[in-house]
Amino acid sequence: MQFTWKRMLGLSLTALLSFSLAACSGGSNSASNGGSSNAAVESASTDSGSNSSSGDGGSNAAAGNVDETGWDGSKYAEPITLTTVKGVGTNYYFKKGETMENNVLQRYMKEHLGIDVKYDWVVTDTNDAYKTKLRLMLSSGEKMPDVITYRGDIETVNMLIDSGQFMDVGELFDKYANDTYKEGVALNPDTWLAVTRDGKRMALPILDYAYNDDMLLWLRQDWMDKLGLQPPTTLADFEKIMDAFVNQDPDGNGKKDTIGLATGFKNTFLGWMSDISWVFGDYGTLPGQWNLASDGTLTYGSVDPASKQALATLKTWMDKGYISKDSGLKDETGASELFTKGQAGAIVGRNWLPDWPFGDLLNNVPGAKYKGYPLPAGPDGKIGAQSGNPSVNGWMLINKNAKHPEALLRYYNFLFDNWANPAKGSEFENGFAEGYDWAKLPDGTITKDPQKYPDLFPDYADRTHLVEPIYYSLTFEGARIPSLYADTMIKLANGGKPETPYEIQTAAIRKPENIEAMKIVLDQKDIRMKNYFQGPLTETMKSKNELLNKLINQTYSKIIYGQASIDEFDSMVESWKKSGGDQITKEVNEWYQSASNK
Amino acid sequence: MSIHKNQPYSLRHQYGQERIFGMETPITAERAGAGAGAGSGTGSGAAAGQHTGKKGFLRRTWPLHLMLLPAVLLQFIFGYLPLGGLVIAFKDYKPYDGIWGSAWAGLEHFRYMFEYPDSKQVIINTALIAGLKIIFNIVVPFAFALLLNEVRKSAFKRSVQTLVYLPYFISWVFLGGILNDILASDGIINTLLHNWFGLQPILFLGDGSWFRAVVVISDVWQQFGFGTIVYLAALAGVNPSLYEAAEVDGASRWKQTLNVTIPSLAPIVIVVATLAIGNILNAGFDQIFNLYNPLVYDKGDIIDTFVYRTGILNGQYSFGTAVGIFKSVVGFVLIVIGYRIAYKLADYKIF
Repeated sequence: MQFTWKRMLGLSLTALLSFSLAACSGGSNSASNGGSSNAAVESASTDSGSNSSSGDGGSNAAAGNVDETGWDGSKYAEPITLTTVKGVGTNYYFKKGETMENNVLQRYMKEHLGIDVKYDWVVTDTNDAYKTKLRLMLSSGEKMPDVITYRGDIETVNMLIDSGQFMDVGELFDKYANDTYKEGVALNPDTWLAVTRDGKRMALPILDYAYNDDMLLWLRQDWMDKLGLQPPTTLADFEKIMDAFVNQDPDGNGKKDTIGLATGFKNTFLGWMSDISWVFGDYGTLPGQWNLASDGTLTYGSVDPASKQALATLKTWMDKGYISKDSGLKDETGASELFTKGQAGAIVGRNWLPDWPFGDLLNNVPGAKYKGYPLPAGPDGKIGAQSGNPSVNGWMLINKNAKHPEALLRYYNFLFDNWANPAKGSEFENGFAEGYDWAKLPDGTITKDPQKYPDLFPDYADRTHLVEPIYYSLTFEGARIPSLYADTMIKLANGGKPETPYEIQTAAIRKPENIEAMKIVLDQKDIRMKNYFQGPLTETMKSKNELLNKLINQTYSKIIYGQASIDEFDSMVESWKKSGGDQITKEVNEWYQSASNK
Repeated sequence: MSIHKNQPYSLRHQYGQERIFGMETPITAERAGAGAGAGSGTGSGAAAGQHTGKKGFLRRTWPLHLMLLPAVLLQFIFGYLPLGGLVIAFKDYKPYDGIWGSAWAGLEHFRYMFEYPDSKQVIINTALIAGLKIIFNIVVPFAFALLLNEVRKSAFKRSVQTLVYLPYFISWVFLGGILNDILASDGIINTLLHNWFGLQPILFLGDGSWFRAVVVISDVWQQFGFGTIVYLAALAGVNPSLYEAAEVDGASRWKQTLNVTIPSLAPIVIVVATLAIGNILNAGFDQIFNLYNPLVYDKGDIIDTFVYRTGILNGQYSFGTAVGIFKSVVGFVLIVIGYRIAYKLADYKIF
């Protein structure tokens, strides 16, 4: 998933930087801009406007506008220091002489926002080194920096919160976050759930693009055409298609060596690719997550009676050869190979599968075609599929004793305003800094190829990779507006003409199938079934999860393989309840009650 | 030996060549007591005149001890100091509270381990798989070495030896992938079985009883080249005069194998077996982890994979450590017992 993100980001981020043109760029609207930003700061309700460029230097703001934090509307009049720690990702590249502590982005932020980011320590983040060091810092009781940003397991975030060193950021967010950020957070009402303690919001979310994790059905269109099949709308239709794929030799090699659906459930029945959970969704539940029951309580999908029906269906699929005999031995990636080597005709996954791994399909099977379809509906017309959890890919914690806790929000606001969706001709149109992540050729075209144009990209240490200064930011990829990706794809899918730099880039790098798929995802977004439990692991979960997961995975697999009868499901549910499941259900619902009544 | 060449000249000069050689067996020298004292008499330079046992020995050899110090320190810091962390098996370890700050839990985790519903099955699986591996990893390379030893063509012998040794160097991550491929329902093995015998595909890795067989066979396949080399080396060390004598007595090849070769190899087999017994609870994490799946949990889940899932994936560090200690203690006890037995049966001392 990260893979596509990075690539997309790298190609699509657009900007124009001028080091020395400090205050000249936005002269026309600077007066009103200064006013509106100040209003936003003070009342937290005014629309600061997505095109207000608060980065156009502080020279316009009169000294009298400086608020109590020392902010004059576009920067800190007296530069402030913000301490933090950093795990340097393996995709961060530096120019010669630049480091995490001293680089173009760091200097830019200091100069334009008056925020001087200092690092207590920096570590190369391989083998979870950043996480380990954070945990060590926690366990040795070291003094925490002003800000910690973390992307990874929620357990570490919980540990940081539980350390009691960090502040309730709710008020700060309400007061200082700009509208773009607030709208992004509001897109999913559950965004705060994971970090809410006693109604207090303990960490700020780093936003990611929405709907990117939603599932749809991908079919081999060349097989569909060859066998004259119609798009499936129900599970029964889909079974007919799979039957044709298995028995009518769609690859035309005279052998019965094709299967219907590529899926693998070695590790989980709720996979991020080659997913099988949608079959359960067609019966009204999703395994491996906490679904909202009609009475308002949370129930565990894996022990829902509806799962039994889904398992019965899957068993017939296994018997008829619709799914691979090795499905139980394959994980998500392994199963996707069934599709990309041309053996399977269907796979359920996310909108970006054309980027990866479908490239392999085109290499392995010349002339193969694929196309996205909405997920078919179950016997009662139900459809359900997993949705990505809130569009959050990291958390930021602010030290209780930080002198300028609001500085982080101003930093993030700035990136939302100027970086996330830059206007044409604006500072960051082509990238962060000329000579770093972009350069202009003599004929005026923009290049991002340091290998081809060494003169335009001076001081590169490693020319095989583009140096992307935005990765040095506190917020990982600068800022992402959750709805932007989907909105852009929809616009393009509906034949809209790409206008903004972001849209032009997206149109240039996204495959048409991908754009179409995103439209399908949004058309059927009502089928999303989210995991309602987003709290820290409960006590019983910690001690019993392994036992219960093993019980479920084993019983599920055996039922599908016919090694156990379908009625084993009922005895599995019984022992699940007895061995801690009932207790976990109670704890989960207690958490849900406390988290939802803020 | 090469270390002598690297020593500064002055050192060599000061202590004399014999002293330096003495370094290799300082304990023998010390134990010999009088020998060390007597030896010092032959020393030259500064050491001369220090005749009194231990003290003189230390004074003469302190630079050597100094040289040893870094290695001892490293071993202490990375080998012994972390052992202190074992204490978390008796605590409710929470990373934020640290090892010492976490609350004591007594034997809670050990109790929990034995009460855990799956523990019995997991321990049985482990002992069974590991036991089979130990037995076959002794028998197969032993037999193979005997056979290979009878091969006259040296080139053939050597190439076979190298070939069977190769898998030993391949990591289980790769071997797991390869096995998954060739044992798949449409893999080579099932295709051959189908074409030759008309069999339906067998789910080698998805069927509990087949799974154990696959695990043991593939492990032996990977390991036996190494064992073969050990036994071949031992075979080379058998005194040829024994064979000559047997031949004079009219013993056939088979009789020679039975009465000369096998008894000569008995000690090394016993050493290998003794050391292996300590591994009765090590069924091979790398291998099982890369091959298993929910279908074979009941027959193939072993202690290490179980600890991985509870301890690492689920963050139950204390519990994982408790199980680790349990494993080590059992292994240690078994090694001691095995050692005693080996001493009794074969009159052979390892340590």
